[in-house]
Amino acid sequence: MRAVGIDGDYESDEPGLVFGATGIADDWPSIRSVLLEAFRLTQLAVVAEEPIVYVVSSDDLLGRNGAASAAVAAGLLSGARTAAIELAKAGLPINVIAIDDEIPGDQVKRWVQRMLEADGAQGELIHLGPGHLGKALG
Amino acid sequence: MTKTAIVTGAAGGIGSVICQRLAGEGWTLIAVDASPRLADTVSILEEAEATVRPVEANLTTDEGLDMVGSAIEGAPPLELIVNNAGITRDARLVNMTEDEFASVIDVNLGAPYQIISRFAPMMKEGAIVNISSRAYLGNFGQFNYSMSKGALVGITRAFALTLAPRIRVNAIAPGLIGTEMSMAIPADVRERMVDSIPLGRMGEPEEVADLVVFLARPGYITGEVITVGGGRSLSR
Repeated sequence: MRAVGIDGDYESDEPGLVFGATGIADDWPSIRSVLLEAFRLTQLAVVAEEPIVYVVSSDDLLGRNGAASAAVAAGLLSGARTAAIELAKAGLPINVIAIDDEIPGDQVKRWVQRMLEADGAQGELIHLGPGHLGKALG
Repeated sequence: MTKTAIVTGAAGGIGSVICQRLAGEGWTLIAVDASPRLADTVSILEEAEATVRPVEANLTTDEGLDMVGSAIEGAPPLELIVNNAGITRDARLVNMTEDEFASVIDVNLGAPYQIISRFAPMMKEGAIVNISSRAYLGNFGQFNYSMSKGALVGITRAFALTLAPRIRVNAIAPGLIGTEMSMAIPADVRERMVDSIPLGRMGEPEEVADLVVFLARPGYITGEVITVGGGRSLSR
């Protein structure tokens, strides 16, 4: 598994891509660079037929941390939904986890593992924490 | 006193009609497009005795943004930005090239982000309307386009928060609209798409433009995405 931008980058022997990005500098080159990296790594994972999980911040998704982080979080969600449509027949899962600030890292990792093994979940947005309740949906 | 609106993608099927509708409401227009076909929109506007400052520019460049900045100088107060410019470079994700990805992101997201960042500080009040797409919910063969339009929804929310209460920021997500871009879709594919729309037809550019005019008026709506898709988001 290749994990980027989540609690430090790391790799393991398990298949899968975990891509996360938050705290993006508020300028266009930074946004572009992150989205381009997401595209490259996602394409590599799809070619390798590996499951994919994007991890974003709930606050980013709601636009609370500035335009750059919002662009990346919402862009990843839309990208996941489109990739999910393309990958559905192959049974290759791609899903998104949105986390509140106070969610512990080990809890996030457990959910990442669940979503990498997702059986039938495709293009889903999973919220960890109550921050999204009563607010705009993804 | 008249007010100024920037409209990007002004040469396109939806953009041209947005310009015409806004001109009918008395707006001074800065009509921007990278295509020389902008002249067609300008002719229509001038025939209707609208006040228009055409800017033929590529908004992915600093020069293009500078040209818009020059057009604003001496114009009535800027109170509306309509980010409508967009392109498609469709391919399945496995076949998509980096150039196809980057070019769509640059136009559909980079330009609006930089226009808002640069020109919203000049606005004392008013509105920003970002033309996203129903494809932000996902659409086969459009990883680049879908991501760019979803990101546009993201910046809509963020700027709605940071620019409030001065400026309202909303997004419109059109579905299949009867423009040249849609008519370029093979007829059999287009027919199948129309069959999946509960209202049984493509939308008209005027139906998007009318919503732009509505959102440009003072109101209590900000940070929202409004879909103009004939119910397509609900059907199989």
